[in-house]
Amino acid sequence: MKTTDDLFAGLDLAVFEEQPDGAWHAVGLLPDWLALPAGPLDLLDCFPMLEVFLPDCDFAKRSQSDTWTEPDPRNPGEELYLQAVACGTDERKFLALRTLPGELLTWQQLAHDVELEKEKVERLSRELEQKRREAERATEAKSTFLAAMSHEIRTPLNAIIGMADVLSGTPLNTEQHKCVEVFQRNGVALLNLINDILDLSKVEAGHMELESTDFDVREVVAAAMEVVEVRVKAKALWLNQILVPGVPFYLTGDPNRLRQIIINLLGNSIKFTDRGGLEIRVECDPGNPSARAGDQINGWLRFAISDSGIGIPEDKLGRIFESFSQADASTTRKYGGTGLGLSISKQLVELMEGHIWVESDVGKGSTFFFTAHFGVQQDQTDRKPVSTERTSVEDLEAGISGLKILLVDDSDDNRSLILAYLKNIHSHIEIAENGLIATQMFRKNRYDVILMDVEMPVMDGYEATSEIRKIEAASGAKPTPVFALTAHAFADMAVKGYAAGFTELLTKPIRKVTLLEAVAGHSSSGEAVTHAAPAQSMEESFTVMVEDGMEDVVPGYLEKRRAEVPLYQTALAANDFETIKNLAHKMKGTGSGYGFPRLTELGSILEQAAIGDDAAQIGEALKQLAGYTARVKLVFP
Amino acid sequence: MLKKKICLLGSYGVGKTSLVARFVHSMFDDKYHTTVGVKIDKKVLTLEGEELTLMLWDMAGEEDGAPVKLNQVKDASGYLLVIDGTRAKTLEVARSIQQRVEAEIGARPFLALINKADLRETWEIPDSTWTELTDSGWTLLETSAKSGQHVEEAFFALSKRILQAPAEEDEND
Repeated sequence: MKTTDDLFAGLDLAVFEEQPDGAWHAVGLLPDWLALPAGPLDLLDCFPMLEVFLPDCDFAKRSQSDTWTEPDPRNPGEELYLQAVACGTDERKFLALRTLPGELLTWQQLAHDVELEKEKVERLSRELEQKRREAERATEAKSTFLAAMSHEIRTPLNAIIGMADVLSGTPLNTEQHKCVEVFQRNGVALLNLINDILDLSKVEAGHMELESTDFDVREVVAAAMEVVEVRVKAKALWLNQILVPGVPFYLTGDPNRLRQIIINLLGNSIKFTDRGGLEIRVECDPGNPSARAGDQINGWLRFAISDSGIGIPEDKLGRIFESFSQADASTTRKYGGTGLGLSISKQLVELMEGHIWVESDVGKGSTFFFTAHFGVQQDQTDRKPVSTERTSVEDLEAGISGLKILLVDDSDDNRSLILAYLKNIHSHIEIAENGLIATQMFRKNRYDVILMDVEMPVMDGYEATSEIRKIEAASGAKPTPVFALTAHAFADMAVKGYAAGFTELLTKPIRKVTLLEAVAGHSSSGEAVTHAAPAQSMEESFTVMVEDGMEDVVPGYLEKRRAEVPLYQTALAANDFETIKNLAHKMKGTGSGYGFPRLTELGSILEQAAIGDDAAQIGEALKQLAGYTARVKLVFP
Repeated sequence: MLKKKICLLGSYGVGKTSLVARFVHSMFDDKYHTTVGVKIDKKVLTLEGEELTLMLWDMAGEEDGAPVKLNQVKDASGYLLVIDGTRAKTLEVARSIQQRVEAEIGARPFLALINKADLRETWEIPDSTWTELTDSGWTLLETSAKSGQHVEEAFFALSKRILQAPAEEDEND
């Protein structure tokens, strides 16, 4: 007959049997994973877990305990996982201890490791998110600061440039003229610099939003070329454009930003080119996959601006699109500029989903390429020839004479400037020093046009304008055109402004022609005045770069042409076409030589008209001559 | 000799085993070893001139689907509720355990230990939360099994509380 010892032998269990006195005695040999002191032992003292287990266990039903951990006597530092099993009959009670497989730990450990790692990643993501939010707040603060600074800088600059414009239109001697021109030139340069820095900050802060309007790519290229035309001529360079057949003309996108990129690249090329010339080429992007597949009309265009300039060393090619980086640090001193233009262009190109790069040969020239993606308008039939005809200041002034205008501005300087701009239009102008006064005046009177400063004490321009809109709505009156005069140049201003009910936002410094055009375009009594070209190019084309060595003669030449205008007018009144022809012929022959191709052009028109006794044509050309000679600005080297 | 059973309760990975290892063996291992079941250790200490044997039940951390086994806690004289200061979630686990202990086996003296004080700069739980807990009657102690900060103090403080607590059936050997 088998003994109890035999029953449990070889099962790798440590078995104990309860004795009548309540003590537990080992049955047979104990396995080697269990190290117990020799002699009688208190099992509960050795395994405190049993204190919890035994009182509740049911021997008849084979209870098993929770797992517990003990040091492994065979492997110091390792652990064993134990479990007790109680079994027995009415007479005898046995307790078996067994080890559980180590995989138990492996799996649990793995699960916890994964879970802890996950928590750590979540924590880091939260921290990262927090940092991102902080960075966003900092950027927000920076852009608010920039908006405030730009306002602070533009407001006095507005007064300086505007007053210099006004001053240049008054009788001055040559020396005084030179001084005023220095004001104007440096004022405009400073304004451009501020605009560049603002643009760059806006792009970096993610605040730059592209417009999406319909435009003709040919007009954009033409306008950009016009802006740089005087600088090209001043350096005796040539400038060509090639529009590769197949390029869709009518696109949807941001024409102003596209023009800005092209002007930046052309301007850059002109700066580094002393002989030869430049070429701008527009084609469907050959690198675009769908273009390769034969689908040309997909809106992916590639622009290439080539020059025959000094070129860029290969090791500098990668850096030139970084902010404030020109290929050579000494470049800034020699060629001027901040190097911001290329950086802004790169950012703008990227906003247009394209990329920008340069290929260059030192001593031979460079080609700047950029690609951009536009919407393609459905109708590509040629609608109108590219026109550069413009409305003269005199025409504008004539068109808006007799208006009743309310000017709302708290700054004395700004009011004087606007009044000076409007001097010739024979208007009735009333003044309000803040928004509240303006709304009070508006309740009693009706105006054809309201010019409204945005930031004012007591009541600002937004509030005043929405108040005015309410008054109009209550009385059923037609909305009065309200022009915001703002020194801010941020897109959110526009959103807020249009929401308040502004008709149009004019950003300070406001040039006379811009103001007149805006008023002419919207005033209820004014005649419709066509806007053939954007205001920007109009301003720019009235700037003439005086060639080196010509500084002493060009201002005098221009002054003489200005003084000749009354002579033409007197001759025209007397039908003296011979005098007109002679004067015009001389101007035609000399204008370009002094850097005024426009005078040569006008001379030619006047001469032809005089030969043909065409008084109407002469009258029109004289208006343009008067406007041009009065407004053209000289930029000295 | 007086013998008292103390349980260490809390979420997994908060440092219960490390606190015991620091207290009993003056050791610290940076590597994480999960505890299977329960690990029982013993430490004899002298408190107010009297020898006291602490039976330290270092119980597997609570996790989803594996709550703390309250049957192992019911004969304990008190417990340490361990929280990982760097994981806000472990505070919620601790609150929940404390409520279950109270509801199912009755109030016991306990201390809440906010462990990993050596990583204080990365703690997720704001100081205001600690104030709230203190106001609600919890006693909190910042500990670090790594540096040893407040570890002995924690075990001694709980022992003192247990001895001062209203008499229960003490086990005298």
